[in-house]
Amino acid sequence: MENQPVLRGALGLYTVIFITFLYAPFIVLAILSFQSGPEGGPQFPIIHWSIYWYKHLFGLTPPSRVAPLPIGDALIRSLILAFATMVTSTLLGTLTAQAFRRRFAGSGLVFYLVVLGMMVPGVLVGLGVALVSTYLGVDRSWWGTTFLVHVVYTFPFAFLVMLAVLNRFDRSVEEAAWALGVPPARTFRKITFPLIFPGVLSAMLFAFTLSYDEFPRTLFAAGGDLTLPLAIYGTFSVEIHPNIFAFGVLTTLFSFAILAVYGFLMALSVRRARRVAIQEEIA
Amino acid sequence: MLEIRGVRKSYGAKRALDDLSLSVRPSEYLSLLGPSGSGKSTLLRIIAGFERADAGDIYLDGKPLTAKPAHERGVGFVSQGFALFPHLTVFDNVAFGLRFRQRNPVGAPAEVKRRVGEMLELVGLGELGGRQIAQLSGGQKQRVALARTLVVDPQICLLDEPLGALDANLRRRMTIELRRIHQRLGIIFIHVTGNEMEALAMGERVVVLDQGRVLQTDVPDTVYNRPASLQVARFLNRYNSFEHRELDGAPAAEGVCCIRRDLITVNEAGYRAAAPETAITATFVASEYSGSIIVYFFSLPSGKVVEVEYHLSHKRPEPLREGSSYALVWRTAQAMVFGSPKIAA
Amino acid sequence: MRAPSDGTTLGSVSVTSATVPARPRWTERYGTWLLLAPGTLWMLLFLAVPMLMMVYVSFWTQKTFSIEPRLTLQSWINFFSSSTYVGALVTTVEIWAIVLFFTFILGYPTALYIGLFIRNKTTQTIVLVLCVVPFWTSFLIRVLAWRPMLGKEGAVNLLLLKLGLISHPIDVLLFTKVSVIIGMVQIYVVFMVGPVAVMLGRIDRSLIEAARDLGAGSWRIFRTIIFPLTLPGVAVGAIFVSVMVLGEFATSAALSGQKVNLLGNIIVTEVGSLKWAFAAVAGVVLTAVMGIVIAGLLRAVNLREEL
Repeated sequence: MENQPVLRGALGLYTVIFITFLYAPFIVLAILSFQSGPEGGPQFPIIHWSIYWYKHLFGLTPPSRVAPLPIGDALIRSLILAFATMVTSTLLGTLTAQAFRRRFAGSGLVFYLVVLGMMVPGVLVGLGVALVSTYLGVDRSWWGTTFLVHVVYTFPFAFLVMLAVLNRFDRSVEEAAWALGVPPARTFRKITFPLIFPGVLSAMLFAFTLSYDEFPRTLFAAGGDLTLPLAIYGTFSVEIHPNIFAFGVLTTLFSFAILAVYGFLMALSVRRARRVAIQEEIA
Repeated sequence: MLEIRGVRKSYGAKRALDDLSLSVRPSEYLSLLGPSGSGKSTLLRIIAGFERADAGDIYLDGKPLTAKPAHERGVGFVSQGFALFPHLTVFDNVAFGLRFRQRNPVGAPAEVKRRVGEMLELVGLGELGGRQIAQLSGGQKQRVALARTLVVDPQICLLDEPLGALDANLRRRMTIELRRIHQRLGIIFIHVTGNEMEALAMGERVVVLDQGRVLQTDVPDTVYNRPASLQVARFLNRYNSFEHRELDGAPAAEGVCCIRRDLITVNEAGYRAAAPETAITATFVASEYSGSIIVYFFSLPSGKVVEVEYHLSHKRPEPLREGSSYALVWRTAQAMVFGSPKIAA
Repeated sequence: MRAPSDGTTLGSVSVTSATVPARPRWTERYGTWLLLAPGTLWMLLFLAVPMLMMVYVSFWTQKTFSIEPRLTLQSWINFFSSSTYVGALVTTVEIWAIVLFFTFILGYPTALYIGLFIRNKTTQTIVLVLCVVPFWTSFLIRVLAWRPMLGKEGAVNLLLLKLGLISHPIDVLLFTKVSVIIGMVQIYVVFMVGPVAVMLGRIDRSLIEAARDLGAGSWRIFRTIIFPLTLPGVAVGAIFVSVMVLGEFATSAALSGQKVNLLGNIIVTEVGSLKWAFAAVAGVVLTAVMGIVIAGLLRAVNLREEL
């Protein structure tokens, strides 16, 4: 199958076009972020190229009729929320995955209950939470109700990652530790956890990313204070300007940076894991 | 003294251990021999506490073991893959139990250093404390695993196929090492293996297992020369077995006749077997030379292969012609007869 | 089983084949439940309860700006007797079907290329990561970016005009159902590529070689071997896409200028005007649609094994 050059070429070309299609919005918004300001709008043609809107983001331009993006506090809230979500859902995911290492009655039920968290659309969960909190008289807030639903959303992802990691984990090192008289809890801390750490990192990254950009659940669950996606959504109904695109480009680059750090940490862990692999080969 | 009484373990429909009972004497080196699926590793894991038996009890020095979790049993376990902690050095691996065990962890670094140092010396790894696990050879890893297990003074040391991952040379060296260490420490060693020669070489007694049952428990000499059943004879890989009707003269006796392959001599085809001897006619196929031993392969009309082993110090037969018939002769008294053969050849 | 002589009480015998340290049964039982408790509790309290609440509230009486717990079917009747709302239901299902279809048609060939034709595992991963990179830009900003693309003076029209493929700008690209579909397909198609590429990677090459040796042509091989083996991946991808499309409202809000109303939009609008009971009805209807879709798709794949 792979030897058909025509088929391969055609599909290859298609894939290139496909990937361009995927990047289209980003390319467009990147181009438009260099629109001139403050008269330039978020549409073609480019009046002239400038980095005005980037400067506008940081408040480095003279006051104009274009208000700065209402994102300062929202950004901080999103970061804090994402961090808290990341820690909580990774913790829950690891604990639950650890429980799944033994077969137990009702494991199917628990599995689907957890996975449900990522299957149910944000609107529905958000609506439900809004209803419950109104009914109970609890105020919705970005650090309370929103945090709860963010974890509902990200915990299943962390769980699945840890499940995969623990499945591949060789238990004989744990047994060896027990046989030496080391109790299970301490064994987990000193042996298991260091060895599954790369997986934990992946789960944390996943959870952080999902929470940071989460929108539908947050829309319903947040109170008056906005997270970043909500603040951006707020600009939908008013006039938008290229500063939002400049913001998009910068956050994408920021994500790049985070991923680079993650990649670096992974490389360190992989080097350690490779030592294990070599060990197995020699044995 | 370790007592195993009536242990049963099943995995679904498969019976791994079937009402197994065994006693291990104090300071004994015991070999557990059996093919894969015989339950030997399962038994070991149950003694260690990694699995729970469905029924039965285990007593160590009179005290019941079964209710205790693995980390409270004082039973050392060296697993097949060594299970060394890849993220720690040799020293830290060996020191791990001392430092982090629940009962009497050793806090003082000087004490830890002393004991780890002693143990590394004992296993012959004195200089390698600072090495990373990945830098070790198979034999070295084996010793680290041993050192790690023994430094915490277990009452029993369980070894699951400890020599399986080593090449032949290393295996022989480790055999000697293990014996030496056992002498020095004087605790119970239980050594599980599928290799019959290893089991016979290592153990003061050998326990032969199959399908979750004990087939024979004896000193190696007895197991080798007088296997208790056809199955045991088969495991030893040194016996040929025949139904009586296949033999020359077709004696009417019941059961299966087993003769060790180095007790057979090869004679010309017309050889008449007189009373204290039994014979069978077979066709020569090939021979295999391995150092001090030469094995001749013959085939019977039924297709069964017969192996005859000659040690170089014994008089060899004249060069054998492929495809020709020969009489294979042995002293009747040296053969063993077992009941009706229920197990297929 | 004989009673142990040290006096521990017996629970029921648990036969497990996994690695279990032999400790008194009650701790072992509790150990697993202890690990499971936080996660399970969390999901029950903050997922199951809200969902049930939604169903419950859909039967409440709707006053002008508040709701009362008196049970009634009024909101339900209002929903199904109004063409706007039923229309939203129809539109939701319609758009879901179309988007699912296009994500499949557009995503499958790419997955085919990545999974089957790229031999090097590292390259495979790189290309897949390449497909995921666009997700690093905030979802909402990407949705916004479609406006300057699809408008009459948008990028697409400018490009097509420049290339001489059309003589005047295409009108229908923005603020219509089409624009919503285009936007959604573009954003969600990746979810079809991933699972299918993974399934393709798992196909044993020797199967294909054997079929070739037996004389089967490419199309035959694809139809009878490759495609059926990728169906679980297609199902997983379809589940992801469906979940996201059915719950959508942001894309339709941004790209259709209020013209396209999905159930998601209904919920958002009704909540905006504090018509909770009514929003709940829409929510339950949406849940029902989702339940049917997912149940159907789960027939084709055992989720627990694939995940």
